[in-house]
Amino acid sequence: MAGVEIDNVSKAYGSYRIIEGLDLSVADEEFVVLVGPSGCGKTTTLRMIAGLETVTSGTIRIGQRDVTDLRPGLRNCAMVFQNYALYPHMSVAENIGYGMKVRGESRAHVEKAVKEVARVLDLEPYLDRRPKQLSGGQRQRVAIGRAIVRSPDVFLFDEPLSNLDAKLRIEMRTEIKALHRRLAKTIVYVTHDQVEAMTMADRVVVMNKGRIEQAADPISLYERPCNLFVAGFIGAPSMNFIEGEVVARDGGLVFTEASGTALMLPKCREAVYGGHLGKPVVLGVRPDHIARQGAAAGATASMIVKDVEPLGPHTLVIGSVGRFPFTAQMPVGVAAEPDQRFDVPLDLDKAHLFDKATGRVIAA
Amino acid sequence: MMRNDPIKHVFIWPAVLVVLAISIFPLIYSLTTSFLSYRLIPPMPPRVVWLGNYIQLLQEPRFWNAILTTTLIAVTAVGLQYVIGFAVALALNARIPGERLFRVAFLLPMLLAPVAVALVARMMFNPTMGPLNQLLGHFGLVNLPFLTNGRWALACIIAVEVWQWTPFVILMLLAGLQTLPEDIYEAAELENASNWQQFWGITFPMMLPISAAVVFIRLIESYKIMDTVFVMTGGGPGVDTETLTLFAYQEGFKKFNLGYTSALSFLFLIAITIIGVTYLALLRPHLEKRR
Repeated sequence: MAGVEIDNVSKAYGSYRIIEGLDLSVADEEFVVLVGPSGCGKTTTLRMIAGLETVTSGTIRIGQRDVTDLRPGLRNCAMVFQNYALYPHMSVAENIGYGMKVRGESRAHVEKAVKEVARVLDLEPYLDRRPKQLSGGQRQRVAIGRAIVRSPDVFLFDEPLSNLDAKLRIEMRTEIKALHRRLAKTIVYVTHDQVEAMTMADRVVVMNKGRIEQAADPISLYERPCNLFVAGFIGAPSMNFIEGEVVARDGGLVFTEASGTALMLPKCREAVYGGHLGKPVVLGVRPDHIARQGAAAGATASMIVKDVEPLGPHTLVIGSVGRFPFTAQMPVGVAAEPDQRFDVPLDLDKAHLFDKATGRVIAA
Repeated sequence: MMRNDPIKHVFIWPAVLVVLAISIFPLIYSLTTSFLSYRLIPPMPPRVVWLGNYIQLLQEPRFWNAILTTTLIAVTAVGLQYVIGFAVALALNARIPGERLFRVAFLLPMLLAPVAVALVARMMFNPTMGPLNQLLGHFGLVNLPFLTNGRWALACIIAVEVWQWTPFVILMLLAGLQTLPEDIYEAAELENASNWQQFWGITFPMMLPISAAVVFIRLIESYKIMDTVFVMTGGGPGVDTETLTLFAYQEGFKKFNLGYTSALSFLFLIAITIIGVTYLALLRPHLEKRR
């Protein structure tokens, strides 16, 4: 059992506070991805788990063991770095076996373990090569090999795929997920790429300004974001936001926007939204929340098209509703032209309404 | 400018001619002289002796003594410079408080003229009036024959060389240390490698190319040592601290035996070339592994 418990951890550099009272619990064998924009504190959090950064206050436990003040080598964590951090003067085999060598394990044991890891990661033909003789993907596999060879309690990944090209990134994503299933170990993985987070994680932790905004499984995060930040950060293209207010009209509740857009809100949510009548709210609609069979009455937004991007399986219609940017993911062959008006049939059952003042979602 | 633009010749040839005029011509002239018996005092007409000067030199015990002395000074001084220099560079690289002050203080000796340093050192090591022996006397210890005993004099010259040129080694190694990526040390920390293991497993091998260059530069420079020895001991006592350059100076500018001195210079050049080539040949396998 080796989960990670972060209890009320803060980190400050002088008077500048990076992380403030962070609480996070990672279960044994769980794959948790910390995601967020640059400077949100995700890498600092990972480095604090590894012991490469000291904590200003709070406690970190790995498998019930308080490791807050332990040096990195005693935490039994293995880390894969963004720039691989391979020893350039050592061969692939020496890189993978270095950790075992410094712990004084026998040469035969090290060689056996290195060969086994090389077999798993398909690195056998490269064992005698040096890192600079390898491609980016091969280097990353060596870095992973170095991490898995000594069977640590926790794996820490610091944006390991950010230096790879798009195709290789997808391949490595699959490999890392397969590795997690095979090794059944706890993984804490940091990325700024929300697609990476959504595709790999058991649970995604969205961070912003040193705080956790929301921690949930990928689908919950996508379908039920708790605030504007998470709603905007998760999903590509990101969610459309239209500011306006809720008014009572024609026996129901209608979202209205200053330029004249009026959208009938779902009957089932009237009880929840009723409390926000006349207050400034933000309507969040994902680009793919389109009514495929045509819009219900009062569920059509009229946008001015700026550009049309055919992507193959679907077409993005990019423009604005009133003064708010709006992207709609439409079927191939949609009749939309730049500088023309285009009516988007929305599936408002999937839309979200946020309190503009607090940024929090309005939900039961 | 394109690679095959003929304008490049306009820039290259004047430089080549200047190099020929100021370097190759004197070298050839000197080589020619080394085959002559050519004395200014007493003035004698030059006479071709072919390899006579070389044979005479190789049979001269003083020449072999000078080679031995020079090698002893160079190898010991450079060895100490490297070990001390590496230690200080590692300390300065560790971002200790006041590191800037230390850095400037450590680099100062290198900026002083060797003659001035040697003069100060001669006074410091003076067996009767030097402050070092005064200090020893203060503690009731006997005076040491710093510059009047062959072994002590060699040790003093080596000490001055180490004091003056370790800063150069520090400067170069510190520059090298600052280029080493930090994350590989973090990876080693996570592997629970001790500081000593990190030094031998990572720092030292990664610093090998720059170390090789620094030691090579210092070794060649040390073989040319002249001013320090000239001022401190003048090659004495006897010829105990006489280096190759000092021997050449004695022959060329005291006895004005130009043919003999030219031959000595060429033997010196051959010796330095052999040392340099051997050094690089020994290191090549290790350096190529890291290329």
